[in-house]
Amino acid sequence: RDILESKAVREGGKPELLQTDDSSDSLNMEKSLTRKKATFTTSDSGHCTAEEAFASEDEPEGNSSLSTEEEDSENEEAIGKKFLKPSQVVSSQKLGSGNLIDETSDIEDLLKEEEDYKEENNYSTETSGALKWKEDLSRKAAEAFLRQQQTTPNLRKLIYGTVTEDNE
Amino acid sequence: MASQAHSLSYSGCNFLRQRLVLSTLSGRPVKIRKIRARDDNPGLRDFEASFIRLLDKVTNGSRIEINQTGTTLYYQPGLLYGGSMEHDCSVLRGIGYYLESLLCLAPFMKHPLRIVLRGVTNDQVDPSVDVLKATALPLLKQFGIDGESFELKVVRRGMPPGGGGEVFFSCPVRKVLKPIQLIDPGKIKRIRGMAYSVRVSPQMANRIVDSARSILNKFIPDIYIYTDHMKGINSGKSPGFGLSLVAETTNGTFLSAELASNPQGQGAAMLPEDLGRNCARLLLEEIYRGGCVDSTNQSLALLLMTLGQQDVSKVLLGPLSPYTIEFLRHLKSFFQIMFKIETKPCGEELKGGDKVLMTCVGIGFSNLSKTLK
Repeated sequence: RDILESKAVREGGKPELLQTDDSSDSLNMEKSLTRKKATFTTSDSGHCTAEEAFASEDEPEGNSSLSTEEEDSENEEAIGKKFLKPSQVVSSQKLGSGNLIDETSDIEDLLKEEEDYKEENNYSTETSGALKWKEDLSRKAAEAFLRQQQTTPNLRKLIYGTVTEDNE
Repeated sequence: MASQAHSLSYSGCNFLRQRLVLSTLSGRPVKIRKIRARDDNPGLRDFEASFIRLLDKVTNGSRIEINQTGTTLYYQPGLLYGGSMEHDCSVLRGIGYYLESLLCLAPFMKHPLRIVLRGVTNDQVDPSVDVLKATALPLLKQFGIDGESFELKVVRRGMPPGGGGEVFFSCPVRKVLKPIQLIDPGKIKRIRGMAYSVRVSPQMANRIVDSARSILNKFIPDIYIYTDHMKGINSGKSPGFGLSLVAETTNGTFLSAELASNPQGQGAAMLPEDLGRNCARLLLEEIYRGGCVDSTNQSLALLLMTLGQQDVSKVLLGPLSPYTIEFLRHLKSFFQIMFKIETKPCGEELKGGDKVLMTCVGIGFSNLSKTLK
């Protein structure tokens, strides 16, 4: 347990280094945020990557006009997010944009929205296993075929115009 | 023969040679309208008029009608007659302009063609006689057009703008052509070249050779570039120099590149060193494009494939030139032949640019003009 925690802290520390180029006022907040995060992320340590840190970094920028109360809620939100474990950058970006839109809206709503995201994320984390490449093999093959068809121009069509294939 | 087929109609001055040559071979009359109709100097140019006169010479019973301004041309082809003749080509274009079309027509004459062409042997626009000799003749041999009387000879060299060159071309006739299967170009085995200079210092040719070799020597040891300095009456009327390079592959494919100096009084003076280097680079480009037929002869190969026996012919070409693409369209309208065109991306064994595999079944064209002996 201790080892895990310390590891998490270290990993939590890493993003701080990455964030040093951020504005100083948000940095302090960010530091505490990440510390908290670190403590909360003990259960899923080893997954706290720089991606997440970057994702959470976006939030204070977007909500810089928010009051401290809201910032607290932001912290909560971040914590909640930690629990959700959004390992996909895309989803956290969505979350960020959602925050931007709902800047003035209720915090409860925000959290609710996150519940939705939670489910989606969980779905993606379940499937993102070692066998992910096996998903939709036929669709992938079809896409590869179409891509190949599009990249190699149909010279016959280019030269003769639209023609039926068995015209020869 | 021609009266049954209905005529084809085109507009514009582009691809005049293609249209007239295919019309002659297929027997279908053509009508070409709006030849430079909006130009300040409308109608057919001198070199085109000269080409039409040449067609009139090699055929028997052709009907050619040109309107007063020269913007409309009606051509009803006669029979390809051949025989011995001579023709003064316009100095505005090289002899290659005329010779390219003669190469398409000559195998289908009634009598073997023996023709003396006078004019510009080497210019910057048309394939020179040297290049055609080195690339088109081996290609025709693949189709079974061969024999002792098959020759192309530069008697006198003439550079633009004066001209004064002379070329002798003779070609045997064939009843049918062999189908070809050229799908493996092989590897480059040797490079040959011809550096010529007329009415300038003979040292020019040596300077060209040195600079061209400076690039090519890195790739292959078997390089020989001949120098050809013609004097006196054989040197034509204008000074100039140039280089033509031909790369031969292990499977008998010839790929060529050439450059000629700017005509006297036109453009900046050209250093022979630059010319040699640039020409060597052009040859490398041509080798990169690759294929079993040189890019200048793509359309000739496709025509002879079309006119072959009713058998499958295949040829691997480099990227199709715009001229070849239009030629394919014309082949479709004159002979109702459509090629199967497959792109072959440069894979493991095919180096260089993307290749195109052209496949067709010949129409079984037989030389009706040829007398049976």
